[in-house]
Amino acid sequence: MCVTALAAFAVTIIFRTSTTANFAQGAISAYGCYVVADLLNKRGIPVYLGVFAGVLVGIAIGVFIDLLVFRKGRHVNELGKQIITMGFVSLFFGGIPLVFGTPERIPFEAFYNTVKAGTSPNFVIPAFGGEIVITKHAVICLGITVVVLAVLFLLLKHSKWGLGVRATASSEFTAELMGIDTHVITAISWALACALGVLAAVMYAGGGTSISAAFMTTIQVNAFLACILGGFSTFYGPVIGAVLIPLAASCVGFLANFKGFYGISRWQMVIVYVLLLIAILIKPEGLFGKKTLKKV
Amino acid sequence: MDIRQEYLNAAYPQGEKKNLGGNIRAAFANPIAQIALVGVVLALVQFLALGGAISSAFAYALGNTLIYAIVAIGFCLLLGYSGLASLGTAGFIGLGSYVAFYLIEGMGAPYFVALLVTLAVSIAIGVIVGFISLRIEGIYLAIMTLALAEIIRSLLMVLKATIKINIKNIVLFGVNVNEKAVYLLIAATFVILMMLTSNLIRSPVGRAMLAMKDSTSASQAMGISLMKYRLLAFVISTIYAAMGGLLYMMYVRNMTTATSTLLTLSTSLNILGAVIIGGAKSLWGTTFGTFIIYGLQSMFLSKIQFFVDNPAFITMITGLLIIVVVMFFPGGFAQMLSSLRGWLRRKRVERRIRDYVDIQN
Amino acid sequence: MSISRTERRLLEKARRLRNEIGMLEAERDLQLEKAEAKLASARAERARLAGREWADKNFGSLGADEIRRAVTEKRLREENDRYAALRKEILLSGYLLNDKDNEALSSAHTARLERIRERTSAELSELPEPAPGERSAPPEAEEAAAPAAGAIWEKYEKKIEKVRGRLREVERRLASGAASAERIELDEGLVLSVRELKMYFGGVKAVDGLSFDVREGEIFGLIGPNGAGKTTVFNCITQFYKPTGGTLLFRGRENEVLDLTREKVHDVILHGIVRTFQNVEVVPELTVLENLLIAGHRQYSSGIAASALHLPKLRREEEIIRSKAEKVLQFMGLSAFSGAYAFGLPYGILKKIEIARTLMCAPRLIILDEPAAGLNDAETAELAALIRRIREEYRCTILLVEHDMGLVMDVCDRICAISFGKLLAFGTPEQIQSDPSVQQAYLGVEEGESDGTA
Repeated sequence: MCVTALAAFAVTIIFRTSTTANFAQGAISAYGCYVVADLLNKRGIPVYLGVFAGVLVGIAIGVFIDLLVFRKGRHVNELGKQIITMGFVSLFFGGIPLVFGTPERIPFEAFYNTVKAGTSPNFVIPAFGGEIVITKHAVICLGITVVVLAVLFLLLKHSKWGLGVRATASSEFTAELMGIDTHVITAISWALACALGVLAAVMYAGGGTSISAAFMTTIQVNAFLACILGGFSTFYGPVIGAVLIPLAASCVGFLANFKGFYGISRWQMVIVYVLLLIAILIKPEGLFGKKTLKKV
Repeated sequence: MDIRQEYLNAAYPQGEKKNLGGNIRAAFANPIAQIALVGVVLALVQFLALGGAISSAFAYALGNTLIYAIVAIGFCLLLGYSGLASLGTAGFIGLGSYVAFYLIEGMGAPYFVALLVTLAVSIAIGVIVGFISLRIEGIYLAIMTLALAEIIRSLLMVLKATIKINIKNIVLFGVNVNEKAVYLLIAATFVILMMLTSNLIRSPVGRAMLAMKDSTSASQAMGISLMKYRLLAFVISTIYAAMGGLLYMMYVRNMTTATSTLLTLSTSLNILGAVIIGGAKSLWGTTFGTFIIYGLQSMFLSKIQFFVDNPAFITMITGLLIIVVVMFFPGGFAQMLSSLRGWLRRKRVERRIRDYVDIQN
Repeated sequence: MSISRTERRLLEKARRLRNEIGMLEAERDLQLEKAEAKLASARAERARLAGREWADKNFGSLGADEIRRAVTEKRLREENDRYAALRKEILLSGYLLNDKDNEALSSAHTARLERIRERTSAELSELPEPAPGERSAPPEAEEAAAPAAGAIWEKYEKKIEKVRGRLREVERRLASGAASAERIELDEGLVLSVRELKMYFGGVKAVDGLSFDVREGEIFGLIGPNGAGKTTVFNCITQFYKPTGGTLLFRGRENEVLDLTREKVHDVILHGIVRTFQNVEVVPELTVLENLLIAGHRQYSSGIAASALHLPKLRREEEIIRSKAEKVLQFMGLSAFSGAYAFGLPYGILKKIEIARTLMCAPRLIILDEPAAGLNDAETAELAALIRRIREEYRCTILLVEHDMGLVMDVCDRICAISFGKLLAFGTPEQIQSDPSVQQAYLGVEEGESDGTA
């Protein structure tokens, strides 16, 4: 859930400042994650440094894509930019196996060394007559996500950079006229988005998933869905959407405890997606979106 | 020249007569004739493969690529002519596949029944998506179609983990056929759909779609109903995608729903890429783009050991190609070709001018 | 205020029948033209062969001068053709000719012509003198035979009459039903009646209780300062917006009275209401001719299947609509641009294409949205003449929404001035010019004062 939230925010910030849907979000995140895994496992670099390095790689990629590809290409329009991101998907999907060899299960226990330390990887909270088991990992991720998002939203609201982003998101042309260097803004947006993506990927992998070139695809799809659920008009909409979708899935899964709904966990995602579809049809601009009227 | 003859020609000039060469060239300029010719070549490939002149793996890969080409052409109509973005292609392919499995393997139905049911289902879904498109636009619509595709994919995963069809169950024109015959069916479908689409593009329908794409206000003022043509665009592209799925299932006859990339976003993006790098408004360009993305690896590079060992390399090249083409040739290969033709034409003109100015000539 | 469903269906049928008649008539005219052309060319060919045969036989008795003249002319003509073809190819291929090369090309052309003249006269300086004696008379020109119009005309008249019969039947049913149905009132001679039109966008009252009438066949002007609501008014008329309130009545082709608010935006053209756009909305991805073909889109009865299979019916209809489009292009003086893609054409040409589109459907009411925007004085005068010509040739009503006072005062029969969505003044150009409230709204003249000029 946190992973999706970060990814959704990343997609939104790119979309709003450079009107591009970044289809390469997952691929770039995966690449960064591979870098981190490489550093952690093969070179034994401590966790925080490794993650930091991965994030730097993400930033580099983001800046490269925005500055060198989008700006240098001849008359690349909106659709063109999206197609270019698709090209990068293939580029990374092909490049990852070449650079890192065939994907394998990367043990991320190096993260916590819990097995070695002999401590349980979970928190156990007695409640409601039973126990709620939460992994330490989940708590850490939640913490990181909340801090990161809080910082970002604060910056967006109160800093000069944030103002620049909001202005560019509203209208790049007008922002430029007002003296905002939109090129810098979009480059930073891309850098930020890719960095967040790598962070999200690392968090996801740290939870025990084996990584492959395409392991972030589902997250990416869910991030996109969260974006239209929340509406691209705001920055917080997609994040809330990213929370709602897994929430809805859990609720549906919860129904499995009741008679007559036993088989429902298999249909979990289908139902959630259908509900999503209905929600968008009711509110086409997203739950928090704003309607625009077109002048003839 | 004999003065007499020259005078006669001067005083009583003959009208223009078309020579045989001109007539033949005009006949081949007709797109339908070109498509028919390609169809003949495609069929020929299969017969050569049977005879051993061409490897049957090549023919098989060609058939596979043609399936994607069919899907891509429908998408070309949607994107290039109607300007509507859809990421649900993979889901519609999945629909066709499941119908194929259910009817042919599950109920022993002949091909035609499966075809009809596929048509019916795709029309229904296409209409639904079309109506959605009236309410939602742009990126929201694109992601909605993605959601739809994910729904279909999740459904398929739930319904059946592995889809298998026994070749013995495929019935065509009342006869049990083998794989080669399915290839011919694919080629025939491709040719027919190309002809139909080519006709549509040059007809009032195609013009209405372009008008709708460029200016919704003007097209409405001229009597074009947005609803009708949006629905039409989606229905057609859904039909083509579903037929692709149907043929795929009959050709490959095996699919694991959870892991198959055919049903994922990748396929939708690949088809989109094929249309764009080929040229969004060019049918031949789209076909060419499909061959680049899907055919290059399976048909031409499969013999080179390096590429067999490193299949990821081809994926990378494909990605690179997409990026470069969009960056420098937004109109795709079709634009590259016409630019080349234009350049050659101007070179010819330059030469003619030089010859003309050289008075001694 | 409603038209009953049966009446609606009958009107729809009448419209379709009228369209069919129109298409049959156009097809008939086309076939007649073709037959005549065929005859003419056959006749010309016969004349040519006969003349050639005669000239061949009597070659010896032809004058040397005549021979020289004819041969020189032919060679010169061939050279000119070659040159023209080269020039055309340069234009079409997009090859950019710099001034130096242009000069060289022209002078080469002149030099070649000169050389041909010299050579020919040298070649033919020694021609045998004509043989003495009688020479037979040249063959007489054939009499222009009356084209077999009869057969074609009859065939089509039979078809047209059948359809006319059905149309008459429908009209009869409409007339008989009219007595019982509830009638909406629209005065004779009026083609459009706007009554208490209101268009509110949330809190903004773009149009607030506007009323005016447009007479059949007149050129009507709608003026007002920026933001007065002119565009909103005719967006309401053409159903791009659904009015918040008020009535819009229009006299249709069957002389029936239509409530425009019940029409869908893409059906408005069926009644003959067409419009241009201020931001020229020509389709750039199509050629000029194709842009006109779409304007005739609703006249095709071929559906999707006929299009996909390229049936003969579609081919026939394409030919007819195409010839209509070519005639319109001729009327507008745009024939040269017929095959050019609309993308990148000059602004003035695009505006003309916009107007040409409105002429494709036998218009009854043409709404021009600021047609003089971006035009200089000379072009505006040309536009005024064009508007008058259109009214005369197509016998329709024109509603002009415009800023340019000169054009409006020049060309309009009556003018309605609005401001802030409300009526300011209504009358002839002279009345409007001298109206104090108009002057105030436009020129800011204080009430009570008048500076006498418009």
